Amino acid sequence: MTYYLTTLLVYAGVDVLACLAISLQFGISGIVNFSFIVFQAAGAYTAAVLSMPPDTANGGFQTYVLGLNLPFPYPWIGATIVGALLAPPIGLVVLRRLRSDYQAIAMLVLSVIASLVITNTPQFLDGAAGISLVPQPLSNIFNPYSDGYLWVYSAATVVLAAIIFVIAQRIINSPYGRSLRAMRENELAASALGKNSVALKMSMFVVGGAIAGLSGAILVGFITTWAPSTWLYPETLILFAAVIVGGRGNNYGAVLGALLVPVGFEEATRYIPPFGPPGLIPAFEWVCIGGLILGFLWFRPRGVIPERRRVFRLAAASQPEEERGGG
Amino acid sequence: MSLIVAAFGFGLVTMSIIAIAAVGFTMQFGITNMINLAYGQVMIASAYAAYAVNNAGVSIWLSMVVGAVFGALFSFLLNRTIYAPFQRKGTNLIGMVIISLAVSLVIANVLLPIVGYYSVSYHLDTGPTLHAGSIALTGVQIAIMAVAVVAMVLIYALLHFTRLGKAMRATAANPTLARNCGIPTARVIDFAWLITGALCGVAGVVAGMNSDAFSVANGSEFLIPIIAASVLGGAGHPYGAMIGAVIIGEMTEVSAALITPEYKQVAAFAALVLVMVLRPQGLLAKRGTLAAAG
Repeated sequence: MTYYLTTLLVYAGVDVLACLAISLQFGISGIVNFSFIVFQAAGAYTAAVLSMPPDTANGGFQTYVLGLNLPFPYPWIGATIVGALLAPPIGLVVLRRLRSDYQAIAMLVLSVIASLVITNTPQFLDGAAGISLVPQPLSNIFNPYSDGYLWVYSAATVVLAAIIFVIAQRIINSPYGRSLRAMRENELAASALGKNSVALKMSMFVVGGAIAGLSGAILVGFITTWAPSTWLYPETLILFAAVIVGGRGNNYGAVLGALLVPVGFEEATRYIPPFGPPGLIPAFEWVCIGGLILGFLWFRPRGVIPERRRVFRLAAASQPEEERGGG
Repeated sequence: MSLIVAAFGFGLVTMSIIAIAAVGFTMQFGITNMINLAYGQVMIASAYAAYAVNNAGVSIWLSMVVGAVFGALFSFLLNRTIYAPFQRKGTNLIGMVIISLAVSLVIANVLLPIVGYYSVSYHLDTGPTLHAGSIALTGVQIAIMAVAVVAMVLIYALLHFTRLGKAMRATAANPTLARNCGIPTARVIDFAWLITGALCGVAGVVAGMNSDAFSVANGSEFLIPIIAASVLGGAGHPYGAMIGAVIIGEMTEVSAALITPEYKQVAAFAALVLVMVLRPQGLLAKRGTLAAAG
């Protein structure tokens, strides 16, 4: 029971982190980062190879680079940095001059290709088999299988998610957040007012990448294994479904979506008695995710918690500047 | 050296398949302004439709016609029931991309329980193998290339010598102006989905014919070279897609011979990235693809 609850909490925390990052990129800035899961995977792989011993350990049954055996906070910090560093090269290719829907498909293609490359390069990160036996943080000091450890781990995840939530709130309520939303609503007009849209997008791409990297590190530290099958591109779509369902453009919506879609779905299907041939239920789940996106975009495109209408009044001239949700 | 020449021969077949698919994909985008990411799944669904009749004893050529009709109707209905209503509602470009990806997920996972998880292959006679130097191609592969050439010629004839084709080009260039000139754009778009859907269906069947076996999982794999070829040539531009198909088809096969087969899609992607950096509007530019999101 402890294991079940703590697992649930860790997954919820990781999904909340991921959805906050998607909310910042997609909800606030209008970037459709279909390669989001690649950033999470990069963080997870980084945390894994930084915390693991060299690959000759354990009889050398898996091959990977590095294996630095670093103590706890470094793998997570490294994962966050790698997530952030991955953003500029991708952003420079994708965000610079392409139309928004082009950006989306370019990143989708990128996600598929990244998965292909990792799968077909076993000497880099153990290919399709993936990395396993990743040590849990501080497992040399505490017993990682004790109830206490599990609770502390899940509590730490929730605290981190809360911290990121506060940071995300600060970003979207700042004047900077206002620029981001202005760009999302009308990129041309925002550029005309002197907002550098590439720099704005890039900053959110980097911030989102860092959060994604951290979420990957948290997840891999808990489940201790990571393989290409866990980060196929449809996983990104689940997170988008979460943000669309919860409500775009506000962080409460992102949190709610994370709790409803990835977490809620997993839990709901756990209690469905198995029926039909094997694989029918996962297939059905995917159909539901797709249906959920279509249904929400049709009937309630602004999500369960719609973005608050913001009205800004200047002190002198009472000229309201209104924003519409969606966009 | 002979290995590379042989790979060049396979590249001719691969480019034929990509060309059929990419021309359909890019025309959908050009005429209806819709990046249909469910295209790969419609291809695989059509391939299975053809398999159903082929398995019942119908010849592969007749099955291809069934696949084409299936693809045409499927695409037509997809647009009528999902894409067009969303577009009428004023969903923006990004929204439409997300919708098409959701549709792709639904199609793949509805298809999966119906057709099963195992790979299937068509019943066909591959015919005698023809040799030209180091190039060795089976009769079926030659036939695939012939199908592609016929399809390309028909598309060219359609766009240049028929009223429908001219109406399509007008709609692609400026839908509002086309409507004001009395072109029934709604009907033109319906026809565009039927025609591109047929290309999609044929592409699915020939892709299935060229591979030893195919399964539902191939749907999203098909999509990558198609996107690469379309974007490479300039999205929305049918002749650009043909050029893109030639480059991507040869690059994948020759790089497979030169480096390793596992990376053949990666090589195609590298070409795509290069074009995106150097010439984001594609080789044959279509005005408007670089415009800010509407």
